[in-house]
Amino acid sequence: MGSLEKQTDPTSPMHWRGDMQADYFYPSGIAGDKFFRHLMQKDSFLADTCPKCNKIYCPPRLYCEDCFEEIPDNSWKEVPSVGTVRLYTVAKLNAHGEKMKSPKIIALIDIDGTNGAMLGTIDSNDFEKDFTGIKVKAILRPKEKREGTIKDILHYKEI
Amino acid sequence: MAEKKKDWPPYAPGTYVRESDIREKKITYTWWEPEVQYSWSLGPAMSKFLQGLKNGKIIGIHCKRCKRVIVPPRMFCEYCFGPTEEWVEVADTGIIETFSISYLDPDARRIEDPILVGVVDFDGTPPHHGFMHYFGEMTKDEIKIGMRVKAVWKPEDERVGSITDILYFRPLKGGET
Repeated sequence: MGSLEKQTDPTSPMHWRGDMQADYFYPSGIAGDKFFRHLMQKDSFLADTCPKCNKIYCPPRLYCEDCFEEIPDNSWKEVPSVGTVRLYTVAKLNAHGEKMKSPKIIALIDIDGTNGAMLGTIDSNDFEKDFTGIKVKAILRPKEKREGTIKDILHYKEI
Repeated sequence: MAEKKKDWPPYAPGTYVRESDIREKKITYTWWEPEVQYSWSLGPAMSKFLQGLKNGKIIGIHCKRCKRVIVPPRMFCEYCFGPTEEWVEVADTGIIETFSISYLDPDARRIEDPILVGVVDFDGTPPHHGFMHYFGEMTKDEIKIGMRVKAVWKPEDERVGSITDILYFRPLKGGET
């Protein structure tokens, strides 16, 4: 008998399990490198300004996204790591779709004095509150533990 | 007529990232190793095949209507769509149907000693059937299509029911059948 035979052992069909190695490597780039190296030393952000349309980028860019103008080095400036919450969501599931012990508030924060915005989490246990429009400040890792990635920003806290 | 464009926009020259830049932390970067696991349910036919490999046998299946042996076995015949009916043990000898000399390892790294891979057409099965495997005990200059080969098995206690229970296929020596 072949494929028409009666299957009596439910464990006989096997499974083949495997791991796929799919490493992810993201270099910060020239502008990003400058931004993160600054963030490793200071508690403020860097921003730069397009010489043509005066759009202020934070995180900084080498080229303007709107008018493709090259942004010169002399337009770089330091801005405080303070912003206003543009929008937010309360996440209850993690990246694997599992329920988290405590929800996470993920927000898009307009950095004050710039036209840029950063994604981050808000440190709060009040999940009913409307956070839109509130002022927040970035809380960073202790200086000796900073690695030069976005994770150096632990979260944002209301001020 | 096509005129050579003189005013191409100047392209950003780009900056190469070298392995040493990463190792020596000359650049900032984000590194992430996502957990990507898969589970392939083999189904009755492939389960039987891998179980067979564990026991040192290559299992095929016979289609009565088309009078042919299918290896690796399938639950139905791809020619007549009828159910395949009879498990058969296939000889672990055959001929090289096609092969490739690879100077890249499975991680796409360049290697000096090429890996020989290809399809084995097993004895007792119709032509142009079989599965892929490694070839060993031969050099890249010796390998050729139509060469007679035989499976080299892992020791019995190391077999787990995987295609790698066969280590590779070696050429048949003179006098062997």
